[in-house]
Amino acid sequence: MIEINNLVKRYGDKKAVNGISFTVNDDEVLGFLGPNGAGKTTTMNIITGYLSSTSGTVKVNGHDILEEPELAKKEIGYLPENPPLYTDMTVNEYLDFICDLKGVAKSKRKQMLERIISLVKISDVTDRLIGNLSKGYKQRVGIAQAMVGDPSILILDEPTVGLDPSQIIEIRKLIKSLSKSHSIIISSHILSEIQEIADRVVIINHGKIAAVDSLTDLSKRLSGQTKLMLTVGAPAKECAAKIQTIHGISAAVPKIVNNKVSQIELTLVGENSTEIRSAIFFMMARENWPILEMRSLDPTLEEVFLNITAGKRRA
Amino acid sequence: MYAIFKREFLSYFRSPVGYVSIAIFSFLSGFIFYSQFSAGSVNIGSEVISLRSFFIIIVPIITMGLLAEDKKRGTDILYYTTPVSLFNVVVGKVLASFALFAVMFINVIIHIIVTVACGGSFGVGGVGTIIVFFFMAFMFISMGLFASAITDNQIVSAIVAFLFILITQLLSVISEYAYTASYSIVKVLGVKADAATSFANAIRKGIAWLDPFVKTQDFRLGIFSVSSLIFLVSVGVLFMYLTFRVLEKKRWSQA
Amino acid sequence: MSNKPVTNKKHNDDRAHKLKLYSIGSVVLLIGIVLLTNILFDGIFGKVLTFDFSDYGQNSISEESQTFIDSLAPDTHVRIIGLFNRPDNVSGTPYQYIIPLLDDYERKSDGKITVEYYDLTENPTIINQLDPSNSYDLASNADNFVIEYNGKIRIITPLDCYSYDEERYFYTGVYYVTSNNTEYVFTNTINMLTSNNVCKAYIVSGLKESTSSYITQIMNSMSINVEDLPSSDNFVIPEDCDLLILNGPNADISEKMYVAMTDYIKNGGKIFIAVDFNTKNVTERFDKLNLLVNQMGINIDPAMINENDPGYQRSGYTIDHTVTSTDTFSDYSSMPYFHATYSRSISNYKNPSTGVDVFPVLVTSNNASLTEFDTNGNAVSGATDTTGQYYVAMYAASQSNGAQMFVFGTTNFSSDEYISGYGMNDVNVEFFKSCIRNLTGSKSAASINVEVKNVDNFALDNTKATTSSATMMMVIFMIIIPVILVGMAVIVYTKRKNL
Repeated sequence: MIEINNLVKRYGDKKAVNGISFTVNDDEVLGFLGPNGAGKTTTMNIITGYLSSTSGTVKVNGHDILEEPELAKKEIGYLPENPPLYTDMTVNEYLDFICDLKGVAKSKRKQMLERIISLVKISDVTDRLIGNLSKGYKQRVGIAQAMVGDPSILILDEPTVGLDPSQIIEIRKLIKSLSKSHSIIISSHILSEIQEIADRVVIINHGKIAAVDSLTDLSKRLSGQTKLMLTVGAPAKECAAKIQTIHGISAAVPKIVNNKVSQIELTLVGENSTEIRSAIFFMMARENWPILEMRSLDPTLEEVFLNITAGKRRA
Repeated sequence: MYAIFKREFLSYFRSPVGYVSIAIFSFLSGFIFYSQFSAGSVNIGSEVISLRSFFIIIVPIITMGLLAEDKKRGTDILYYTTPVSLFNVVVGKVLASFALFAVMFINVIIHIIVTVACGGSFGVGGVGTIIVFFFMAFMFISMGLFASAITDNQIVSAIVAFLFILITQLLSVISEYAYTASYSIVKVLGVKADAATSFANAIRKGIAWLDPFVKTQDFRLGIFSVSSLIFLVSVGVLFMYLTFRVLEKKRWSQA
Repeated sequence: MSNKPVTNKKHNDDRAHKLKLYSIGSVVLLIGIVLLTNILFDGIFGKVLTFDFSDYGQNSISEESQTFIDSLAPDTHVRIIGLFNRPDNVSGTPYQYIIPLLDDYERKSDGKITVEYYDLTENPTIINQLDPSNSYDLASNADNFVIEYNGKIRIITPLDCYSYDEERYFYTGVYYVTSNNTEYVFTNTINMLTSNNVCKAYIVSGLKESTSSYITQIMNSMSINVEDLPSSDNFVIPEDCDLLILNGPNADISEKMYVAMTDYIKNGGKIFIAVDFNTKNVTERFDKLNLLVNQMGINIDPAMINENDPGYQRSGYTIDHTVTSTDTFSDYSSMPYFHATYSRSISNYKNPSTGVDVFPVLVTSNNASLTEFDTNGNAVSGATDTTGQYYVAMYAASQSNGAQMFVFGTTNFSSDEYISGYGMNDVNVEFFKSCIRNLTGSKSAASINVEVKNVDNFALDNTKATTSSATMMMVIFMIIIPVILVGMAVIVYTKRKNL
């Protein structure tokens, strides 16, 4: 269990983290969501003791990270954004070093490493040099490193970044399997990833918490809106004005205007987007404006935050 | 501490650095030994003293990567986020380099055995120089580690370590320049010649007092002075502490 | 200059601020502690915590010197002054064994002995202060030491502090140091300066003899003031002469000298004569000198001793042999065996005047013979047959006037050549000192028997350190070992690279 209370971290005049408080319960996967530069990594670095906060407290299983750092650090396994891998060591040598570093007793070591290695599926590369491994394997070795010493809490900073899709799926599976026996904080800037793994989500932006929610609440909030990007062979302004008359479209904003082709961003209200799309098709057909492309736009995180904050304000 | 020591020490032998630095040391010590041997008299003391002048090359080579490389790879985060104290990290790293020096020194031990087997003598003066050699190695390694802590570029670290050792080796020369310089400055400021001389003398003495080579020169004659060893140790510990502080600073620095 | 950001920052950064203060403070504190500890150890405990583990204690004064220094009156103040700036690095210089030892004198003397260094160009006044009459020409002693006590001074050069192999120096021009006499020289010089009853010896010069610097030093150490007495047309033995020495003359004395010395003996004078048989004096029959020693019942023979007893020979040469002291002189040295080379036979002379007791001092085996030489330096045939025991040194004492005389047929007891090669602690030197003490009686002080120290010797056994073994060392240490290591580096690198 981690209790974070009013965390602030300043860099010069800028506050990278500005008064964050939340709690992670036992055996829970907490998604830590925010765009790049929102303060996710800084917060995680503070929780793991890498950085000291300007003010505020972090308690890991009851141990304050500043006052009892060694006890607190024993409870945490940390995979930073760049896994701390010695490229000049083999996987075995590296994990052995991590055991030394975390003070794992020699008697327990072999059994524990075997378990971790089979769990993260790196048994076929244990004698290879870390520097020669693929990004996916490196990430797994990084996770293995975090698991050494059987910490009750795992903190994973962007564990899937830079991986190819099949690797991402593998890692997600791995994290899911780990979640049965660990509290996990996982950070990401990809919404769908968090949706898939996490029980609960903390969203931060500009160093502040934008929302703490369970996943179902989050999807509800997001479901109110859908956007479409429409590319048509028509004059933009005229077309936009026409489209807006369709029921269920709240806004039509021309994005790219050119002689023959326009791109128009449409904001839809309501659940029935299929109906609206058909309506658009028939209208365009009627006007003899060929639809070149119509696709739905996933909301960007920024939009989600805007949405959430806007929603809060409204409420 | 043991974990860091073990990793750093073994890493010298996982990369060419360890072998190459030992090869350099073997070649240099072998050359000195050979030239003495062919002249028919071998003074291990002067061999070891000559070897001290190669600290300036060997120490930067073996210390440059100690922390700079960690920072570059991002592995330094392990020292902060695992239950190991930062000072122990510093101690472990110094010990690893020190142990490498001990391994290098096997060369000299072979030379001693050969000397004694060939009817030469290895006296207390030789023992004295060896003691000084290791204490001095400790001090310079600490300086090198500090140089490695303040940058994440190995080359910069090596150059800084080189400069530290160079300055230490030139302290006596520097003290002479400081004498001349301070004398003329004070003279320009309108101080009497007598006072200027004594002021400049004090500066010269103060700087020369720091010179570890002068402090320990009597060891080769068999005079062992505990206070000069304390000097070497305390300077070494000071640089270790500075290194520790530089590492610690990363935690709370707001720059 | 707005205050707002400052206060704001302070409020927010309390923790970082504290850590920063702690960090800087602890570093400053540690620097302070380091400086303080070092100043403390350097200044206060430095000398106590300095240990001399050198072979033979090169850099510490021995118990003999310590006893002597302790015996000096508490208000004694002896100054040792180096006429140069104290060098920072003494190793490899002639001062290597001197300056550390002088520090030890100062350290262990309770303020009775102080050591100072003055550069003559920086402090020219020191010359006038030490030597107002300028009788020692200190200005030309810029590399030397001066010992001063109550206005009396002595100069000690670094060369005085070592024995070196003179033969090797002669052939190679290299000083090959055989022993370190620093402590011997300094302690005994201080002894001489501080002792009250100083007697005076004159060494006669101008008889083609070699130098006498070692016996000068030795006698100085016995508080005997040694001066040179050149042979000249108006040769006079000074009034204050307590002892007259003829050390290895290769020419006979003049008539004038004979008269003066005869006169000297009649007045109870003491003479030490050492004369050997060498190529420079092979034709010299020392007629006048013989007339002089004859008065004391001794004769210097024109014959060289051949030792035929192999047990007495040194390295198989008949002219390089061992001599033994007679029972009368057995307490003159710790061992009764001495080394004599090119010895001239010394024999009894039937002296008509009575009242002189003559004793043999050093004798050969019973199996020695003589080679006699004529005035042209050719061996007289037939004279070698008589084997028997011959005398190499004799002693005579007059009952009537107290005159005493040692005549040695070898210079191995007093020549620079011998002492430089065998050192100040050689048994020959010990015997010589006893003879001098016998001649000068209570007027000379017992010299302080400081052990001469061996200098570190790093020479290898030259049967093992041959050119071929040196080449082997070069190949092993400079080629094979580094190449193996570089090879290992390449192997490890390539192997691990592809793991």
